[in-house]
Amino acid sequence: MVFNDKNSQKIVDIIENYARKSSLWILAYGTGCGAIELPPTVTSRYDSERLGIHFGATPRQADVLLITGYLTTKTLKRVIRVYEQMQDPKYVIGFGSCTINGGMYWDSYNTINALDRYLPVDVYINGCMPRPEAVLAGFAKLQKLIQAGKADGANKYKENLDWYRTNQKKVIPNWRMPEYNW
Amino acid sequence: MNMIYILFSIFLAGAILTWVADKISGILRDLFFLLTVLSATTFFYLKIPVGYTTNITLAGLHLQWGITAFGWYFSLIVLGLGTMAAFYALSYMKGKERLGYFYFNFLISLLSMMGILMSRDLVSFFIFWEIMTWSSYFIVIYKGKHVQRSGINYLLFSAIGAYAMLMAIVMVYAHTQSLLIPDMIQAFPFFTLSAKIWLPILFLTAFSVKAAMMPLHVWAPDAYSDSPMAYTSVFSGALSKMGIYGMVLVFVTMISYLPNDTAFRETFAWLGAITAIMGTLWAIAQDDARKLLAWSSVAQLGYIITGVAIGTELAILAALFMAVMHALFKGTLFLVVGAVEKQTGKVKFSEVSGLIRKMPWTFIAALFSIITLAGIPPLGGFVGKWMLYQSLISSNHVILVVAIFFASTAAFLYCYKFLFGFFLGQEEPEIAHVREAPLLMIIPMLILSLLESILGVYPQIIFRPLDAAMQTLGFPATQVHFWNTSVLFNEWGNQVALKPLFYAVAGIFLFFFLVLTIKGWKTTRKVSTKDISTSGEIPKQNENLTYSINFYQPFLRAVAPAMKRRMMTYYREIGSGLEAFFDYTRRLYSGNGQTYAIYVIIFVVLLLLFKNSLFS
Amino acid sequence: MGSILYYTLGAIISFILAFTVGITYMGLDRKITARVQNRIGPPWYQNFLDVSKLYFKKTNIHQGIMQHMGAAFMMVTAVMALLIVPIFNHGHFFPNLNFQGDLIFLLYIMVFGQLGMALGVGQTGNPNAAIGITRGLSQMTGYEIPWVLALVALMIQYKTTSIVDLMNVQAETGRWLMFSSPFAFLAAILAMLGMFSHAPFDIMVAPNELASGPISEYGGKYLSILMSAGAVFMFAKLTLYVDLFMGGSSNLLALLIKTFSFFLIPVLYGIVSPRYRTEQAIRYFWGWPSLFGLLAVIQAVILK
Repeated sequence: MVFNDKNSQKIVDIIENYARKSSLWILAYGTGCGAIELPPTVTSRYDSERLGIHFGATPRQADVLLITGYLTTKTLKRVIRVYEQMQDPKYVIGFGSCTINGGMYWDSYNTINALDRYLPVDVYINGCMPRPEAVLAGFAKLQKLIQAGKADGANKYKENLDWYRTNQKKVIPNWRMPEYNW
Repeated sequence: MNMIYILFSIFLAGAILTWVADKISGILRDLFFLLTVLSATTFFYLKIPVGYTTNITLAGLHLQWGITAFGWYFSLIVLGLGTMAAFYALSYMKGKERLGYFYFNFLISLLSMMGILMSRDLVSFFIFWEIMTWSSYFIVIYKGKHVQRSGINYLLFSAIGAYAMLMAIVMVYAHTQSLLIPDMIQAFPFFTLSAKIWLPILFLTAFSVKAAMMPLHVWAPDAYSDSPMAYTSVFSGALSKMGIYGMVLVFVTMISYLPNDTAFRETFAWLGAITAIMGTLWAIAQDDARKLLAWSSVAQLGYIITGVAIGTELAILAALFMAVMHALFKGTLFLVVGAVEKQTGKVKFSEVSGLIRKMPWTFIAALFSIITLAGIPPLGGFVGKWMLYQSLISSNHVILVVAIFFASTAAFLYCYKFLFGFFLGQEEPEIAHVREAPLLMIIPMLILSLLESILGVYPQIIFRPLDAAMQTLGFPATQVHFWNTSVLFNEWGNQVALKPLFYAVAGIFLFFFLVLTIKGWKTTRKVSTKDISTSGEIPKQNENLTYSINFYQPFLRAVAPAMKRRMMTYYREIGSGLEAFFDYTRRLYSGNGQTYAIYVIIFVVLLLLFKNSLFS
Repeated sequence: MGSILYYTLGAIISFILAFTVGITYMGLDRKITARVQNRIGPPWYQNFLDVSKLYFKKTNIHQGIMQHMGAAFMMVTAVMALLIVPIFNHGHFFPNLNFQGDLIFLLYIMVFGQLGMALGVGQTGNPNAAIGITRGLSQMTGYEIPWVLALVALMIQYKTTSIVDLMNVQAETGRWLMFSSPFAFLAAILAMLGMFSHAPFDIMVAPNELASGPISEYGGKYLSILMSAGAVFMFAKLTLYVDLFMGGSSNLLALLIKTFSFFLIPVLYGIVSPRYRTEQAIRYFWGWPSLFGLLAVIQAVILK
């Protein structure tokens, strides 16, 4: 067998993806009311740790960014910075209906309506609020995507960075972000 | 012509020429200064072999100058560090005022230290000791904020030491009618008991002032931090070792002959350990880098004093080895602070941070010296520490070893503070203009730190002269054949082989360093220190997030009871008590003739009353 | 030349053993904690997955050369400690450059990596990281006192500073040092709680308060190497405790049982404990544990 072969690359991919999907570290960053559903998800009742899901403390260590509910433009700026500080491969989960279409805040002056226009979302979890079962189901979906190698939101973000930046700058009036060299 | 005369003439003539040349041109002055140091060093090592002696008769006194292996060992510290600091001083002192004065005193203090090492009689020893005190005093008051206070402190304590030594010398002369040190050593076992006890106490007082032992240390932090760093490196590295030089002599040649020497040894060992602990605690609390290093010098000399006081063969070996290591690393660290001070104009940890990218070579020198200071293998500091612990354990000083261990564990705290405070942390826009120190300052620091790492693997470079020195002191020849193989042995036969350890450490480090570097070489990138996880907040360009205020607050809170009282307060209380007493006696002179008449009458009455007992 | 290869091979084998066992123990720690909290908990091999996931991260960042090297420094300490502590009683298979396992050298090489890592952490510029380091170093001054007291008691009682000699003493007398020097054992065990920086002495990493402290800027391959170093170091320390107080182990099964029983002490103590503040932790270690250490020393001086 020759290395750099397509098949051996495939095997490596399977192993890597298996490791990635079974160890998902959530960035503990609660943006909205949905963050209240996370404690029951990780504690005794639903125990997400048995699936390898637990909290990472800083963006450098985390893999998954949860947008838990509505996202004000003020928070969006911080979320973008945090997302860009995370290391590849990284995933975003949109949490609750607010991230899909604005939910009950659809006509608010200071929240965004569709998260997809600002950050690449890999999985949406529906509901207002999604219960821990739904959260776990969302994670299961994400794990399936990761194993199949289809959770490539980070790449999408890199490829369409200009488009994302334009959208982001449209809603964030005082865009003063440091320049990243990634 | 006598070689020792020539050596002293070189120093003296060089010092005067440098001083005169300062009036003419700066380059000439620098040239003379450097030439003097270099020529004196080469002359000493080429022309004056160990054992060279010369006799002088001065005003009826028989004096003797000469160099023993023991003095020669300390000359390595004086001249080696002196040369490095001299090179450094040329660049560091550039642009400062009264350079002739500074260089003159620099050279004179080198001269006086060599004089101390070469004196074989007590009078010249005392004279050179005083020259050393005065030349260093002149540099302490050269420039600085509080020089008046620190200068007076230094001079006062040095005076106490000098008087003690003078009394001891008079006592020796009264007993032996000779001023030669060998005569004193030979005659000592036959002295009366009170002389046997008082002589060491007086001498040790003199020496422990210079070695900054508690409770005679209060001059040291101020004096070390107020003199220019180029000299402080010699001051702390070499000049304080003169105290150790004297202490070793006293402990080996006098205290061993005391009928009950354990009390002496234990007292001094514990004073050394307390010095080490308190020096370390105060070093941790400092924000000024110079003060931190000054307190750390006090603490490090505490270890050395403990080793000397224990006085077993291994302990003295350890102490003398640590003396050289201390000269190397503390010399380098003071030079590092000087470089930072020169380049940024700041010496406080809370004012400057993130210099590593601006001054990488300075950082490397600081890193090596700090590792040596902390005693971490595989650098040279470990050898000294290891031998000290072994000697303490094998001589059953159980609590002492724990005290020393605590001091050196707590030393990691200020070690980290030093490196972190200056070189790590976030970069500020204020230091954007800072550049690496000039080459003339970098090279001495790097040479010294290179020596530290070489001595960690090949300590025999130092052990050979050290062994000769120990034999001069009357110890049997130590395990030279073991030293040759870079293996350390303790008294129970346990061993540490330094070379394989070094290779193992280097190999493991290189392997994982390569793993870290090669893995994802292309996708690994460096980001600025502003790009940190701050919960999404974006630090502004001029916003410095480096943690440097109240750096070890929790630790200091835990040890607060030990640091509540300072020695200085006690001295102040004694001082004000004396002042009040003198003020009271002053009132006797009331200026009234009647009062004086009463005094006379009282005196006469007293005389009459005690007539029988007084004049019988 | 042949002996160097032999040593290197031994080192690699013991590294793999230590890595496997250490990471497994970390997983078991999480499993036990989960069971105590009435959860199912992650599988025992969860930490292998974590480490490899971190290693497989596609991008990595560092804030400078010291941070880049920090993990390697930590690894030096871990592997050196492993090489110096004899893993089995009769070191034929694992000769491991152990130099008779000098204890003082071991104490100092243990700090090497921590200081190197602290420098790397300092360079990140993250205030939380530096705060974590100051807490860690301060706590170290706390637990070193009982630990050194215990070690000194053993050293002067048996007139040796070598781990191998202490193991031989236990083999000759047939009594484990945990029974013949009970006070030293107690002091060492209490010091161990701090040394493993497990709860209640985990103020150094305090994830909710300090954003995981020292490692807050570490991710990807750096964190992966760091975690592996932690696992190896932990195994080395456990083996040291087994060698000192349980007479070492003669085969793999005994090694696993003994190290695991030592490992359970900080784990079980930690699960039910809240967290000490730094100065409380320091004062704790200078209280009862140091007293036990002093008793151990007195016992050693009397029995010598």
